[in-house]
Amino acid sequence: MQIFQYILLIFLVVCAIAVSFSKRLLNSILIFMSYSLIMSIIWILLESPDLAITEAAVGAGVTSVLFFATLKKIHAMREEDEEKDE
Amino acid sequence: MFEWIRFILGTGLLCIGVATFILEVFGVFKFRYVLNRMHAAAMGDTMGIGASLAGLMILFGFQFVTLKLALVLIFLWCASPVSSHLISRLEYITNEKLEKYCEVRSEDQNRRISGQED
Amino acid sequence: MSRLIPEEEYGKKPAGAFRQWMSGIRDPYLGNVEVKARAGQDENEELLKEHQEEVVSVIRKVHDVANNSQYILFRKFYKAAALICCLTLTVMLLVTVAYLPPVGSADNPAHNEVAAKYIEDGLQDTGAVNIVTGMILDYRAFDTFGESNVLFIATCTVLILMRNDKKKGKGSAEEEEHRDSFYEPKADKILQTAALILVPFIILFGIYVILNGHLSPGGGFSGGAIIGAGLILYLNAFGFEKTERFFTAKTYKWVSFSALSFYCIAKSYSFYTGAHHLESGIPLGTAGNILSSGLILPLNICVGLVVACTMYAFFALFRKGGF
Repeated sequence: MQIFQYILLIFLVVCAIAVSFSKRLLNSILIFMSYSLIMSIIWILLESPDLAITEAAVGAGVTSVLFFATLKKIHAMREEDEEKDE
Repeated sequence: MFEWIRFILGTGLLCIGVATFILEVFGVFKFRYVLNRMHAAAMGDTMGIGASLAGLMILFGFQFVTLKLALVLIFLWCASPVSSHLISRLEYITNEKLEKYCEVRSEDQNRRISGQED
Repeated sequence: MSRLIPEEEYGKKPAGAFRQWMSGIRDPYLGNVEVKARAGQDENEELLKEHQEEVVSVIRKVHDVANNSQYILFRKFYKAAALICCLTLTVMLLVTVAYLPPVGSADNPAHNEVAAKYIEDGLQDTGAVNIVTGMILDYRAFDTFGESNVLFIATCTVLILMRNDKKKGKGSAEEEEHRDSFYEPKADKILQTAALILVPFIILFGIYVILNGHLSPGGGFSGGAIIGAGLILYLNAFGFEKTERFFTAKTYKWVSFSALSFYCIAKSYSFYTGAHHLESGIPLGTAGNILSSGLILPLNICVGLVVACTMYAFFALFRKGGF
Protein backbone atom coordinates (compact mmCIF):
# COMPACT_ATOMS: atom_id res chain seq x y z
CA MET A 1 0.00 0.00 0.00
CA GLN A 2 2.87 2.33 0.87
CA ILE A 3 4.39 1.80 -2.59
CA PHE A 4 1.02 2.51 -4.23
CA GLN A 5 0.84 5.80 -2.33
CA TYR A 6 4.34 6.76 -3.44
CA ILE A 7 3.45 6.02 -7.07
CA LEU A 8 0.35 8.18 -6.77
CA LEU A 9 2.34 11.02 -5.21
CA ILE A 10 4.90 10.85 -8.03
CA PHE A 11 2.05 10.98 -10.57
CA LEU A 12 0.65 13.98 -8.71
CA VAL A 13 3.92 15.89 -8.94
CA VAL A 14 4.36 14.95 -12.60
CA CYS A 15 0.82 16.14 -13.39
CA ALA A 16 1.30 19.39 -11.49
CA ILE A 17 4.47 20.17 -13.43
CA ALA A 18 2.96 19.08 -16.76
CA VAL A 19 -0.01 21.44 -16.33
CA SER A 20 2.27 24.46 -16.44
CA PHE A 21 4.60 23.09 -19.10
CA SER A 22 2.13 21.88 -21.72
CA LYS A 23 1.90 24.11 -24.78
CA ARG A 24 -1.83 23.80 -25.44
CA LEU A 25 -4.46 25.06 -23.04
CA LEU A 26 -6.76 22.11 -23.80
CA ASN A 27 -4.06 19.62 -22.80
CA SER A 28 -3.45 21.59 -19.61
CA ILE A 29 -7.09 21.25 -18.64
CA LEU A 30 -7.10 17.51 -19.30
CA ILE A 31 -3.95 17.04 -17.21
CA PHE A 32 -5.53 19.14 -14.46
CA MET A 33 -8.52 16.79 -14.54
CA SER A 34 -6.26 13.77 -14.02
CA TYR A 35 -4.53 15.67 -11.22
CA SER A 36 -7.90 16.03 -9.47
CA LEU A 37 -8.67 12.34 -9.90
CA ILE A 38 -5.31 11.28 -8.43
CA MET A 39 -5.85 13.74 -5.59
CA SER A 40 -9.26 12.22 -4.81
CA ILE A 41 -7.73 8.71 -4.66
CA ILE A 42 -5.08 10.03 -2.28
CA TRP A 43 -7.80 11.54 -0.09
CA ILE A 44 -9.49 8.14 0.10
CA LEU A 45 -6.18 6.52 1.08
CA LEU A 46 -5.77 9.19 3.77
CA GLU A 47 -9.20 8.12 5.10
CA SER A 48 -11.13 11.29 4.40
CA PRO A 49 -13.90 10.26 1.99
CA ASP A 50 -15.74 13.58 2.46
CA LEU A 51 -12.96 15.43 0.71
CA ALA A 52 -12.61 12.69 -1.91
CA ILE A 53 -16.25 13.05 -2.99
CA THR A 54 -15.98 16.82 -3.15
CA GLU A 55 -12.69 16.69 -5.02
CA ALA A 56 -14.05 14.25 -7.61
CA ALA A 57 -17.29 16.21 -8.15
CA VAL A 58 -15.85 19.73 -8.11
CA GLY A 59 -12.26 19.28 -9.28
CA ALA A 60 -12.72 16.73 -12.03
CA GLY A 61 -16.30 17.55 -13.00
CA VAL A 62 -17.54 21.09 -12.64
CA THR A 63 -14.23 22.96 -12.74
CA SER A 64 -13.18 21.30 -16.00
CA VAL A 65 -16.55 22.06 -17.58
CA LEU A 66 -16.19 25.70 -16.56
CA PHE A 67 -12.64 25.76 -17.95
CA PHE A 68 -13.88 24.37 -21.27
CA ALA A 69 -16.65 26.98 -21.38
CA THR A 70 -14.07 29.71 -20.73
CA LEU A 71 -11.79 28.40 -23.48
CA LYS A 72 -14.71 28.51 -25.86
CA LYS A 73 -15.61 32.01 -24.73
CA ILE A 74 -12.14 33.35 -25.49
CA HIS A 75 -11.92 31.32 -28.75
CA ALA A 76 -8.77 29.51 -27.65
CA MET A 77 -9.92 26.12 -28.96
CA ARG A 78 -10.53 27.25 -32.51
CA GLU A 79 -7.10 28.85 -32.85
CA GLU A 80 -5.48 25.59 -31.87
CA ASP A 81 -7.44 23.82 -34.57
CA GLU A 82 -6.19 26.26 -37.17
CA GLU A 83 -2.61 25.75 -36.06
CA LYS A 84 -3.04 22.02 -36.45
CA ASP A 85 -4.37 22.36 -39.97
CA GLU A 86 -1.50 24.44 -41.22
CA MET B 1 -14.31 -26.69 -5.22
CA PHE B 2 -16.95 -24.00 -5.71
CA GLU B 3 -14.60 -21.44 -4.16
CA TRP B 4 -11.89 -22.40 -6.64
CA ILE B 5 -14.24 -22.05 -9.64
CA ARG B 6 -15.33 -18.64 -8.38
CA PHE B 7 -11.75 -17.51 -7.86
CA ILE B 8 -10.64 -18.64 -11.33
CA LEU B 9 -13.68 -17.06 -12.99
CA GLY B 10 -13.21 -13.76 -11.15
CA THR B 11 -9.50 -13.44 -11.76
CA GLY B 12 -9.96 -14.49 -15.40
CA LEU B 13 -12.50 -11.72 -15.96
CA LEU B 14 -10.25 -9.23 -14.17
CA CYS B 15 -7.33 -10.25 -16.41
CA ILE B 16 -9.50 -9.77 -19.50
CA GLY B 17 -10.46 -6.30 -18.24
CA VAL B 18 -6.87 -5.27 -17.56
CA ALA B 19 -5.77 -6.61 -20.97
CA THR B 20 -8.51 -4.53 -22.60
CA PHE B 21 -7.29 -1.45 -20.74
CA ILE B 22 -3.73 -2.06 -21.96
CA LEU B 23 -5.02 -2.40 -25.53
CA GLU B 24 -7.02 0.79 -25.08
CA VAL B 25 -4.02 2.83 -23.92
CA PHE B 26 -1.91 1.36 -26.73
CA GLY B 27 -4.59 2.21 -29.30
CA VAL B 28 -5.10 5.76 -28.05
CA PHE B 29 -1.40 6.50 -28.44
CA LYS B 30 -0.93 4.51 -31.65
CA PHE B 31 -3.77 5.89 -33.77
CA ARG B 32 -3.56 9.38 -35.22
CA TYR B 33 -7.16 10.14 -36.21
CA VAL B 34 -9.95 11.16 -33.83
CA LEU B 35 -12.45 8.47 -34.75
CA ASN B 36 -9.88 5.67 -34.53
CA ARG B 37 -8.73 6.91 -31.15
CA MET B 38 -12.30 7.23 -29.97
CA HIS B 39 -12.95 3.64 -31.00
CA ALA B 40 -10.03 2.42 -28.88
CA ALA B 41 -11.05 4.53 -25.89
CA ALA B 42 -14.70 3.50 -26.09
CA MET B 43 -13.71 -0.17 -26.16
CA GLY B 44 -11.88 0.22 -22.87
CA ASP B 45 -14.69 2.28 -21.39
CA THR B 46 -17.31 -0.39 -22.01
CA MET B 47 -15.68 -3.80 -22.26
CA GLY B 48 -12.70 -3.19 -20.01
CA ILE B 49 -14.76 -1.70 -17.21
CA GLY B 50 -17.51 -4.27 -17.70
CA ALA B 51 -15.13 -7.23 -17.50
CA SER B 52 -13.18 -5.94 -14.51
CA LEU B 53 -16.29 -4.96 -12.53
CA ALA B 54 -17.93 -8.32 -13.32
CA GLY B 55 -14.77 -10.06 -12.08
CA LEU B 56 -14.87 -8.03 -8.87
CA MET B 57 -18.56 -8.80 -8.41
CA ILE B 58 -17.88 -12.54 -8.73
CA LEU B 59 -14.97 -12.30 -6.29
CA PHE B 60 -17.05 -10.41 -3.70
CA GLY B 61 -20.03 -12.76 -3.84
CA PHE B 62 -23.50 -11.71 -2.72
CA GLN B 63 -22.97 -8.57 -0.67
CA PHE B 64 -24.08 -4.96 -0.58
CA VAL B 65 -20.85 -4.03 -2.37
CA THR B 66 -21.89 -6.17 -5.33
CA LEU B 67 -25.07 -4.14 -5.78
CA LYS B 68 -23.06 -0.92 -5.67
CA LEU B 69 -20.65 -2.27 -8.30
CA ALA B 70 -23.59 -3.27 -10.51
CA LEU B 71 -25.02 0.26 -10.21
CA VAL B 72 -21.63 1.77 -11.09
CA LEU B 73 -21.45 -0.53 -14.12
CA ILE B 74 -24.94 0.47 -15.31
CA PHE B 75 -24.11 4.16 -14.87
CA LEU B 76 -20.87 3.87 -16.83
CA TRP B 77 -22.50 1.86 -19.60
CA CYS B 78 -25.16 4.57 -19.92
CA ALA B 79 -22.74 7.47 -19.84
CA SER B 80 -19.57 6.59 -21.76
CA PRO B 81 -21.09 5.40 -25.09
CA VAL B 82 -23.11 8.62 -25.19
CA SER B 83 -19.96 10.70 -24.77
CA SER B 84 -18.23 8.74 -27.55
CA HIS B 85 -21.26 9.31 -29.76
CA LEU B 86 -21.11 13.07 -29.10
CA ILE B 87 -17.39 13.20 -29.94
CA SER B 88 -17.88 11.34 -33.21
CA ARG B 89 -20.83 13.52 -34.14
CA LEU B 90 -18.88 16.71 -33.49
CA GLU B 91 -16.07 15.37 -35.67
CA TYR B 92 -18.55 14.53 -38.45
CA ILE B 93 -20.07 17.99 -38.37
CA THR B 94 -16.91 20.06 -38.12
CA ASN B 95 -14.45 18.16 -40.30
CA GLU B 96 -14.69 19.22 -43.93
CA LYS B 97 -12.14 16.69 -45.18
CA LEU B 98 -13.78 13.63 -43.73
CA GLU B 99 -13.34 11.67 -46.98
CA LYS B 100 -9.58 11.82 -46.51
CA TYR B 101 -9.72 9.65 -43.40
CA CYS B 102 -12.65 7.31 -43.84
CA GLU B 103 -15.36 6.08 -46.15
CA VAL B 104 -18.34 8.43 -46.31
CA ARG B 105 -21.70 7.47 -47.74
CA SER B 106 -23.15 9.76 -50.37
CA GLU B 107 -26.56 11.40 -49.95
CA ASP B 108 -28.32 8.83 -52.19
CA GLN B 109 -26.97 5.92 -50.18
CA ASN B 110 -28.02 7.61 -46.97
CA ARG B 111 -31.55 8.05 -48.23
CA ARG B 112 -31.72 4.46 -49.42
CA ILE B 113 -30.49 3.11 -46.11
CA SER B 114 -32.75 5.27 -43.98
CA GLY B 115 -35.71 3.94 -45.97
CA GLN B 116 -37.12 7.25 -47.17
CA GLU B 117 -37.36 6.77 -50.89
CA ASP B 118 -39.79 9.51 -51.82
CA MET C 1 -50.05 -21.68 -35.49
CA SER C 2 -47.38 -19.79 -37.29
CA ARG C 3 -47.82 -18.01 -40.52
CA LEU C 4 -45.49 -16.17 -42.82
CA ILE C 5 -45.95 -12.40 -42.50
CA PRO C 6 -45.07 -10.18 -45.45
CA GLU C 7 -41.69 -8.48 -45.51
CA GLU C 8 -43.06 -4.96 -45.00
CA GLU C 9 -45.00 -5.85 -41.89
CA TYR C 10 -42.05 -7.79 -40.53
CA GLY C 11 -39.83 -4.74 -40.91
CA LYS C 12 -42.02 -2.76 -38.51
CA LYS C 13 -41.71 -5.28 -35.68
CA PRO C 14 -38.79 -4.97 -33.25
CA ALA C 15 -37.21 -8.26 -34.32
CA GLY C 16 -37.44 -7.29 -37.98
CA ALA C 17 -36.03 -3.83 -37.30
CA PHE C 18 -33.18 -5.39 -35.35
CA ARG C 19 -32.37 -7.79 -38.20
CA GLN C 20 -32.42 -4.96 -40.71
CA TRP C 21 -30.15 -2.91 -38.51
CA MET C 22 -27.77 -5.84 -38.04
CA SER C 23 -27.47 -6.49 -41.75
CA GLY C 24 -27.08 -2.79 -42.55
CA ILE C 25 -30.20 -2.43 -44.70
CA ARG C 26 -31.73 0.29 -42.62
CA ASP C 27 -30.29 2.78 -40.11
CA PRO C 28 -33.01 4.23 -37.86
CA TYR C 29 -30.67 7.03 -36.81
CA LEU C 30 -30.18 8.40 -40.33
CA GLY C 31 -32.63 11.05 -41.42
CA ASN C 32 -34.11 11.48 -37.96
CA VAL C 33 -31.39 13.62 -36.46
CA GLU C 34 -30.37 17.07 -37.54
CA VAL C 35 -26.81 17.11 -38.86
CA LYS C 36 -25.53 20.37 -40.25
CA ALA C 37 -22.40 20.52 -42.35
CA ARG C 38 -20.11 23.48 -41.97
CA ALA C 39 -20.72 26.24 -44.48
CA GLY C 40 -17.81 27.07 -46.80
CA GLN C 41 -15.85 30.26 -46.37
CA ASP C 42 -16.94 33.10 -48.61
CA GLU C 43 -14.23 35.71 -47.99
CA ASN C 44 -12.83 37.15 -51.16
CA GLU C 45 -9.17 36.79 -52.11
CA GLU C 46 -8.08 40.40 -51.59
CA LEU C 47 -9.33 40.65 -48.04
CA LEU C 48 -7.65 37.38 -47.18
CA LYS C 49 -4.35 38.50 -48.70
CA GLU C 50 -4.45 41.82 -46.89
CA HIS C 51 -5.15 40.08 -43.62
CA GLN C 52 -2.27 37.66 -44.09
CA GLU C 53 0.17 40.46 -44.95
CA GLU C 54 -0.88 42.30 -41.83
CA VAL C 55 -0.30 39.25 -39.67
CA VAL C 56 3.14 38.67 -41.19
CA SER C 57 4.19 42.30 -40.72
CA VAL C 58 3.08 42.28 -37.09
CA ILE C 59 5.00 39.07 -36.44
CA ARG C 60 8.11 40.54 -38.10
CA LYS C 61 7.95 43.70 -36.02
CA VAL C 62 7.36 41.91 -32.75
CA HIS C 63 9.84 39.07 -33.18
CA ASP C 64 12.72 41.06 -34.64
CA VAL C 65 14.74 40.38 -31.51
CA ALA C 66 18.21 40.62 -32.98
CA ASN C 67 17.97 44.36 -33.78
CA ASN C 68 16.26 45.37 -30.56
CA SER C 69 18.96 46.02 -27.95
CA GLN C 70 16.48 47.11 -25.29
CA TYR C 71 14.59 43.88 -25.66
CA ILE C 72 17.76 41.78 -25.39
CA LEU C 73 18.77 43.60 -22.23
CA PHE C 74 15.31 43.14 -20.77
CA ARG C 75 15.38 39.44 -21.50
CA LYS C 76 18.71 38.97 -19.79
CA PHE C 77 17.53 40.95 -16.77
CA TYR C 78 14.29 38.97 -16.72
CA LYS C 79 16.10 35.63 -16.66
CA ALA C 80 18.45 36.72 -13.88
CA ALA C 81 15.60 38.17 -11.80
CA ALA C 82 13.49 35.04 -12.21
CA LEU C 83 16.39 32.86 -11.14
CA ILE C 84 17.11 34.97 -8.05
CA CYS C 85 13.43 35.05 -7.05
CA CYS C 86 13.05 31.28 -7.40
CA LEU C 87 16.24 30.52 -5.48
CA THR C 88 15.34 32.88 -2.63
CA LEU C 89 11.88 31.37 -2.28
CA THR C 90 13.22 27.81 -2.42
CA VAL C 91 15.84 28.49 0.26
CA MET C 92 13.28 30.22 2.49
CA LEU C 93 10.79 27.38 2.22
CA LEU C 94 13.45 24.70 2.77
CA VAL C 95 14.75 26.46 5.87
CA THR C 96 11.19 26.70 7.21
CA VAL C 97 10.58 23.02 6.54
CA ALA C 98 13.78 22.14 8.40
CA TYR C 99 12.40 23.83 11.54
CA LEU C 100 9.06 21.95 11.45
CA PRO C 101 8.52 19.22 14.05
CA PRO C 102 8.71 15.63 12.75
CA VAL C 103 5.57 14.17 11.19
CA GLY C 104 3.46 12.07 13.55
CA SER C 105 5.26 12.79 16.81
CA ALA C 106 3.04 12.98 19.87
CA ASP C 107 4.04 16.46 21.06
CA ASN C 108 3.25 18.28 17.82
CA PRO C 109 1.38 21.57 18.25
CA ALA C 110 -1.50 20.06 16.23
CA HIS C 111 -2.13 17.42 18.90
CA ASN C 112 -3.51 19.70 21.56
CA GLU C 113 -6.63 19.66 23.68
CA VAL C 114 -8.88 21.02 20.87
CA ALA C 115 -8.62 17.92 18.68
CA ALA C 116 -8.99 15.64 21.71
CA LYS C 117 -12.12 17.53 22.80
CA TYR C 118 -13.67 17.28 19.31
CA ILE C 119 -13.03 13.55 19.08
CA GLU C 120 -14.19 12.74 22.61
CA ASP C 121 -17.23 14.99 23.01
CA GLY C 122 -18.18 15.43 19.33
CA LEU C 123 -20.97 12.87 19.31
CA GLN C 124 -22.48 14.16 22.58
CA ASP C 125 -22.32 17.85 21.73
CA THR C 126 -23.45 17.77 18.12
CA GLY C 127 -25.27 14.44 17.77
CA ALA C 128 -23.59 13.80 14.40
CA VAL C 129 -22.05 10.39 13.78
CA ASN C 130 -19.75 11.84 11.13
CA ILE C 131 -17.26 13.88 13.17
CA VAL C 132 -16.19 15.98 10.18
CA THR C 133 -19.71 17.27 9.58
CA GLY C 134 -20.16 17.88 13.29
CA MET C 135 -17.03 19.97 13.21
CA ILE C 136 -17.70 22.06 10.10
CA LEU C 137 -21.41 22.66 10.74
CA ASP C 138 -21.47 22.96 14.52
CA TYR C 139 -18.16 23.90 16.11
CA ARG C 140 -16.93 25.81 13.05
CA ALA C 141 -20.28 26.75 11.55
CA PHE C 142 -19.37 30.39 10.97
CA ASP C 143 -16.42 29.26 8.88
CA THR C 144 -18.79 27.32 6.61
CA PHE C 145 -21.13 30.32 6.53
CA GLY C 146 -18.24 32.39 5.21
CA GLU C 147 -17.53 29.76 2.55
CA SER C 148 -21.16 29.81 1.37
CA ASN C 149 -21.00 33.59 1.19
CA VAL C 150 -17.81 33.35 -0.85
CA LEU C 151 -19.69 31.22 -3.38
CA PHE C 152 -22.51 33.78 -3.49
CA ILE C 153 -20.06 36.66 -3.97
CA ALA C 154 -18.29 34.70 -6.74
CA THR C 155 -21.61 34.34 -8.56
CA CYS C 156 -22.21 38.08 -8.18
CA THR C 157 -18.78 38.81 -9.67
CA VAL C 158 -19.35 36.49 -12.63
CA LEU C 159 -22.75 38.14 -13.07
CA ILE C 160 -21.11 41.57 -13.27
CA LEU C 161 -18.54 40.36 -15.80
CA MET C 162 -20.68 38.13 -18.00
CA ARG C 163 -24.24 39.43 -17.86
CA ASN C 164 -25.80 40.13 -21.22
CA ASP C 165 -28.96 42.21 -21.01
CA LYS C 166 -29.57 42.86 -24.71
CA LYS C 167 -32.92 41.46 -25.71
CA LYS C 168 -32.77 41.59 -29.51
CA GLY C 169 -30.44 42.25 -32.40
CA LYS C 170 -26.70 41.73 -32.71
CA GLY C 171 -24.92 40.61 -29.56
CA SER C 172 -28.08 39.65 -27.72
CA ALA C 173 -28.03 36.77 -25.28
CA GLU C 174 -29.94 34.36 -27.54
CA GLU C 175 -27.73 35.09 -30.53
CA GLU C 176 -24.53 34.78 -28.54
CA GLU C 177 -25.66 31.42 -27.23
CA HIS C 178 -26.57 30.27 -30.74
CA ARG C 179 -23.19 31.37 -32.08
CA ASP C 180 -21.35 29.80 -29.17
CA SER C 181 -22.98 26.39 -29.60
CA PHE C 182 -23.25 26.40 -33.39
CA TYR C 183 -21.37 23.14 -33.95
CA GLU C 184 -22.76 21.42 -30.91
CA PRO C 185 -25.41 18.76 -31.41
CA LYS C 186 -28.89 20.13 -30.86
CA ALA C 187 -31.86 17.90 -30.08
CA ASP C 188 -29.68 14.80 -30.13
CA LYS C 189 -31.96 11.85 -29.44
CA ILE C 190 -29.28 9.61 -27.93
CA LEU C 191 -28.04 12.30 -25.55
CA GLN C 192 -31.59 13.26 -24.56
CA THR C 193 -32.56 9.67 -23.79
CA ALA C 194 -29.40 9.11 -21.74
CA ALA C 195 -29.97 12.38 -19.89
CA LEU C 196 -33.60 11.49 -19.19
CA ILE C 197 -32.48 8.21 -17.63
CA LEU C 198 -29.43 9.49 -15.76
CA VAL C 199 -30.36 12.98 -14.50
CA PRO C 200 -33.07 11.86 -12.01
CA PHE C 201 -30.68 9.34 -10.48
CA ILE C 202 -27.82 11.85 -10.30
CA ILE C 203 -30.04 14.40 -8.54
CA LEU C 204 -31.44 11.69 -6.26
CA PHE C 205 -27.91 10.66 -5.32
CA GLY C 206 -27.04 14.30 -4.62
CA ILE C 207 -30.06 14.64 -2.33
CA TYR C 208 -29.07 11.41 -0.58
CA VAL C 209 -25.54 12.72 -0.01
CA ILE C 210 -26.87 15.99 1.42
CA LEU C 211 -29.46 14.39 3.73
CA ASN C 212 -26.95 11.81 5.02
CA GLY C 213 -24.27 14.42 5.66
CA HIS C 214 -24.26 13.87 9.42
CA LEU C 215 -24.29 10.05 9.16
CA SER C 216 -21.92 9.17 6.31
CA PRO C 217 -19.22 10.91 4.28
CA GLY C 218 -20.59 13.76 2.25
CA GLY C 219 -22.61 16.80 3.07
CA GLY C 220 -23.73 20.07 1.59
CA PHE C 221 -20.72 20.81 -0.58
CA SER C 222 -20.36 17.40 -2.23
CA GLY C 223 -24.10 16.85 -2.66
CA GLY C 224 -24.60 20.34 -4.03
CA ALA C 225 -21.81 19.82 -6.56
CA ILE C 226 -23.40 16.53 -7.68
CA ILE C 227 -26.81 18.18 -8.14
CA GLY C 228 -25.19 21.05 -10.02
CA ALA C 229 -23.44 18.58 -12.37
CA GLY C 230 -26.79 16.86 -13.02
CA LEU C 231 -28.41 20.19 -13.85
CA ILE C 232 -25.56 21.02 -16.24
CA LEU C 233 -26.05 17.67 -18.01
CA TYR C 234 -29.78 18.38 -18.33
CA LEU C 235 -29.03 21.84 -19.73
CA ASN C 236 -26.62 20.43 -22.30
CA ALA C 237 -29.12 17.83 -23.46
CA PHE C 238 -32.29 19.92 -23.65
CA GLY C 239 -31.17 23.52 -24.02
CA PHE C 240 -32.15 26.68 -22.22
CA GLU C 241 -35.85 26.60 -23.11
CA LYS C 242 -36.48 23.58 -20.90
CA THR C 243 -34.36 24.65 -17.94
CA GLU C 244 -35.76 28.17 -17.88
CA ARG C 245 -39.12 26.69 -16.98
CA PHE C 246 -37.86 25.88 -13.51
CA PHE C 247 -34.63 27.84 -13.05
CA THR C 248 -34.40 31.55 -13.76
CA ALA C 249 -32.56 34.46 -12.20
CA LYS C 250 -35.51 34.89 -9.85
CA THR C 251 -35.23 31.29 -8.64
CA TYR C 252 -31.54 31.72 -8.05
CA LYS C 253 -32.09 34.97 -6.17
CA TRP C 254 -34.74 33.59 -3.85
CA VAL C 255 -33.11 30.22 -3.19
CA SER C 256 -29.71 31.74 -2.39
CA PHE C 257 -31.20 34.55 -0.32
CA SER C 258 -33.43 32.32 1.78
CA ALA C 259 -30.77 29.64 2.28
CA LEU C 260 -28.10 32.12 3.35
CA SER C 261 -30.41 34.10 5.63
CA PHE C 262 -31.78 30.95 7.26
CA TYR C 263 -28.21 29.82 7.89
CA CYS C 264 -27.35 33.20 9.37
CA ILE C 265 -30.43 33.31 11.63
CA ALA C 266 -30.04 29.69 12.80
CA LYS C 267 -26.38 30.09 13.70
CA SER C 268 -27.00 33.49 15.26
CA TYR C 269 -29.53 31.85 17.58
CA SER C 270 -26.95 29.23 18.41
CA PHE C 271 -24.42 31.98 19.09
CA TYR C 272 -26.94 33.85 21.24
CA THR C 273 -27.46 30.80 23.45
CA GLY C 274 -23.69 30.54 23.85
CA ALA C 275 -22.87 27.53 21.64
CA HIS C 276 -23.41 24.41 23.74
CA HIS C 277 -23.01 25.81 27.22
CA LEU C 278 -26.68 26.74 27.55
CA GLU C 279 -29.84 24.88 26.61
CA SER C 280 -30.73 25.89 23.06
CA GLY C 281 -34.11 24.17 23.05
CA ILE C 282 -33.30 22.25 19.86
CA PRO C 283 -33.45 18.50 20.51
CA LEU C 284 -30.44 16.53 19.33
CA GLY C 285 -32.38 13.31 18.79
CA THR C 286 -30.93 9.81 18.68
CA ALA C 287 -27.54 9.69 17.04
CA GLY C 288 -27.73 7.68 13.83
CA ASN C 289 -31.23 8.69 12.74
CA ILE C 290 -31.84 10.92 9.74
CA LEU C 291 -33.77 13.41 11.88
CA SER C 292 -31.12 14.01 14.51
CA SER C 293 -28.25 16.24 15.50
CA GLY C 294 -30.25 19.44 15.79
CA LEU C 295 -29.43 22.17 13.31
CA ILE C 296 -26.91 20.24 11.22
CA LEU C 297 -29.44 18.74 8.79
CA PRO C 298 -31.15 22.04 7.82
CA LEU C 299 -27.78 23.77 7.59
CA ASN C 300 -26.54 21.00 5.27
CA ILE C 301 -29.61 21.50 3.08
CA CYS C 302 -28.93 25.25 2.95
CA VAL C 303 -25.30 24.77 1.95
CA GLY C 304 -26.31 22.18 -0.67
CA LEU C 305 -28.88 24.53 -2.22
CA VAL C 306 -26.39 27.39 -2.41
CA VAL C 307 -23.67 25.20 -3.98
CA ALA C 308 -26.02 23.60 -6.55
CA CYS C 309 -27.43 26.97 -7.61
CA THR C 310 -23.94 28.46 -7.84
CA MET C 311 -22.64 25.66 -10.07
CA TYR C 312 -25.59 25.92 -12.43
CA ALA C 313 -25.47 29.72 -12.47
CA PHE C 314 -21.77 29.71 -13.34
CA PHE C 315 -22.34 27.42 -16.30
CA ALA C 316 -25.39 29.32 -17.56
CA LEU C 317 -23.60 32.66 -17.27
CA PHE C 318 -20.57 31.38 -19.14
CA ARG C 319 -22.67 29.93 -21.95
CA LYS C 320 -25.32 32.54 -22.46
CA GLY C 321 -24.70 35.54 -20.23
CA GLY C 322 -27.90 35.04 -18.26
CA PHE C 323 -30.17 32.35 -16.95
